[in-house]
Amino acid sequence: MSETSSATAAGSASGAPPPEVTRLPPRQWVKENLFSSPFSSALTIVTSIVLLAIARALLSFIFNPIRQWNSTATNMQLFFTRAYPDEQYIRVWFSLAVIIVLTSISMAVWRAGSSIPLARLGRKLLAGAALLLLLALLAPFSASATIQWTLAAACVAVIGEGVRRSASKGGAERTVSSLTVLVVTLAGLVASLWVVPYGHHTYIPSRQPRVLAESGTVALTTKLPWTIMLLIAVAAYLMGGVIRERLPVNPTRITLLILWLLAPPVLIYLVLRDPSFDMGHVISTDLPIFAAYALGGSVILSWLTRPSTGEAGRILAVTILVVGFCTFLTPMRMVVRLDMLLLAIFALAAPTFAGGPRNRKRYVLGWLGVLGVMSWLITAINTPSTVSVPGGFFIGGFSITLMVAVFTIVLSFPLGIALALARTSTMPIFRLLATWFIEFVRGVPLITILIFFSIMVPLFLPRGMHLGEVAAVVIGYVLFSSAYLAENVRGGLQSVTRGQHEAADAVGMTTAQKTLFIVLPQGLRVAIPPLVGHCIGVFKETSLLAIIGVFDVLYIGRIVIPGQTEFMGSTKENLLFVSVIYWIFAYQMSKASQRLEQRTGLGER
Amino acid sequence: MTDMTPTEPTGNQTRDLSGARDMIVCENVSKWYGDFQALDGVSANIKEQEVVVVLGPSGSGKSTWIRCINRLEIHQEGRIVVDDVELTNDLRNIEKVRSEVGMVFQQFNLFPHLTILDNVTLAPIWVRKKPRAEAEAQAMALLERVGIPEQAQKYPGQLSGGQQQRVAIARALAMEPRIMLFDEPTSALDPEMIKEVLDVMKALALSGMTMMVVTHEMGFAKEVADRLFFMEGGQIVEQNTTEMFFSNPAEERTKLFLSQIL
Ligand SMILES: Nc1ncnc2c1ncn2[C@@H]1O[C@H](COP(=O)(O)OP(=O)(O)O)[C@@H](O)[C@H]1O
Ligand SMILES: [Mg+2]
Repeated sequence: MSETSSATAAGSASGAPPPEVTRLPPRQWVKENLFSSPFSSALTIVTSIVLLAIARALLSFIFNPIRQWNSTATNMQLFFTRAYPDEQYIRVWFSLAVIIVLTSISMAVWRAGSSIPLARLGRKLLAGAALLLLLALLAPFSASATIQWTLAAACVAVIGEGVRRSASKGGAERTVSSLTVLVVTLAGLVASLWVVPYGHHTYIPSRQPRVLAESGTVALTTKLPWTIMLLIAVAAYLMGGVIRERLPVNPTRITLLILWLLAPPVLIYLVLRDPSFDMGHVISTDLPIFAAYALGGSVILSWLTRPSTGEAGRILAVTILVVGFCTFLTPMRMVVRLDMLLLAIFALAAPTFAGGPRNRKRYVLGWLGVLGVMSWLITAINTPSTVSVPGGFFIGGFSITLMVAVFTIVLSFPLGIALALARTSTMPIFRLLATWFIEFVRGVPLITILIFFSIMVPLFLPRGMHLGEVAAVVIGYVLFSSAYLAENVRGGLQSVTRGQHEAADAVGMTTAQKTLFIVLPQGLRVAIPPLVGHCIGVFKETSLLAIIGVFDVLYIGRIVIPGQTEFMGSTKENLLFVSVIYWIFAYQMSKASQRLEQRTGLGER
Repeated sequence: MTDMTPTEPTGNQTRDLSGARDMIVCENVSKWYGDFQALDGVSANIKEQEVVVVLGPSGSGKSTWIRCINRLEIHQEGRIVVDDVELTNDLRNIEKVRSEVGMVFQQFNLFPHLTILDNVTLAPIWVRKKPRAEAEAQAMALLERVGIPEQAQKYPGQLSGGQQQRVAIARALAMEPRIMLFDEPTSALDPEMIKEVLDVMKALALSGMTMMVVTHEMGFAKEVADRLFFMEGGQIVEQNTTEMFFSNPAEERTKLFLSQIL
């Protein structure tokens, strides 16, 4: 609506407008779309009244003077990281910087962003001004506040009109990169940190347990870090541009994708864990085990991927699998068992990747990479954190929500796909196990699983294996999520037609090749909407963490802050804020899924 | 491949294949779907370089038979031997036979998520373990042969039915098969596209490929086939050389069928 309201002016202004969709003049547009018949007129009027009433109610809620919005503003640090120690905070900033750098470089390499015609930008600003004006009139402001908001609306309107005018200068339609707009917006926000007092830590340091930072530590200093972050983002984007021009495309993209995959575990590790390892243990135990598997596995796999190895290879692979399961019968380090199972998987898949020396080398390198990541993860989980604060989990808030969600989603995808494949496989034993697992997990409430993993599992663990509480919970989440994910994936797999299976069979593909190249790509494509729905669900369900004593963002907004003596009863404000945070992220996921669907659907139909 | 005698303009009825070896041998092949018998003691020998056309009313078991030959369907009685390999449950035999037998389906069954080029190169690269560059060069040559090299980077959904079916033929040929099976390759096509597919098939037949074709295109059968099979109710009712089959059908049912279709 906003875009069409000033369409005629823009159309006539921009020299020779591209004849895309013919824009109707606003009055005509309104007539055709909103008042085309008596019924639609009635509907329009009723809807407008309802919307206005809702907006007014919401605004009266937000701008009611009794609202304690400073409870939200003051507790930003609590919301996002809970009681992360200030002297270690640099780790959080560093992690954020890494994510920002990766994002910016990726945006440059993938040429994200589009160019927006200046005229359209101007119209958007005008629409924003209209909204501001509406807000000024609807909200229960005092006269002076109303005037202030009206003035703000007027300012925006003037800027918008200026932009729109400048668009028509010089004949041709002028555009601006959407990234520029983004950077300017962000810069405005960051600049405001320096002027607007967004909130301070003003706590009486007598309440126990102390989970808040002292006054003036982090929140006050965020303006400097955020400014640096913005500069880093711009610099990284420019660097990404150079990379895009100088380096070959595909290797760059693959490297970036790998970095993206590695970033979550590494950064979470960085934030949560003590940087000083128990080096003695690593050198005396972990490294030798890794080296043995690396060497032995490489030899076995390079033999298995030889095209001439036939049946003997399959027998060896199955033997490794059986041995892998047998290791669970005897006391042994967990790493040894897991590595054995991993080797079995690689061995079973080896014939699919058999081929010339280059193929074989690549496969062995893949094995080394996966083994390395897994060994490192196990070592990491088993290293206790030394960043500790009284009262259990030192970290909490949105960062724990994000960590658990990212880990759960990243890990449950491979597991869920494997389960779906097992459930649709022709081998009865796989089918049975997968079906049992899925039906069992789906029949048990998530809370039960979480409690089981947080309390019971540490009791059952073999000697010499620790499992951080968060790690235990994440494992529970992963199992739960993968069962549901498997059913979504299975739906996708079943949508792959019989003809596709037959065509793959007819050219002599093995079952593994058919699955990898034909069935999974098509099945997952179909399953994108339910899968993304599932990811959003996982993200929101992390709020159940509160039940086992993790202070997630919802718990903080619901219980912790309203319990502070200064902000008694500020539940509504903080719940609204938490909902906005959840919504922003869930909405981004939803939009990403739409883009993904469009992109992967390009070639079809 | 090149020992054809390309001097017969009237087709290859005069070709003498009696000395050639058997490529496909079926002995008393029977198959049931539940209680329903789809194939009932089918026996036939198909020689190297021979082109046979299978005719018959709908539901007579033509597809079932042709699909048994690369084991998309599993026969329950009798023997099928393809290029001296008997089809049993042994996985290696099946994979060997499938990589030597190309198949073209009525519904094309191209892989919709891959480009035309990837459709053609996927199996050579992963099943035949060819280097990618070699596979792509071969694929381009094949696309040239079926007349659509310019479509290599498109997706199947962007092509017409006739073009898709030609890609499907190229995809099958990329495995360098010794036998090609066609199950009603033109039945899903608009009339104006049938000819372009049949032309490709004719050229293939002339190059000496062993072919087994289920089709209702009588013109194609008369021109290209060495032999015809007529099926009904899961049995081969009549088989004969093309000339004899059309000029002098022995069975009443064959005559009836021909009178309906011609
Ligand atoms: N998967 C199946 N399950 C049950 N019956 C089938 C199946 N496939 C084919 N049939 C039956 O077998 C008979 C032969 O089918 P088909 O070989 O496809 O015939 P044609 O190709 O000659 O039209 C038909 O009666 C058909 O209904
Ligand atoms: Mg049929």
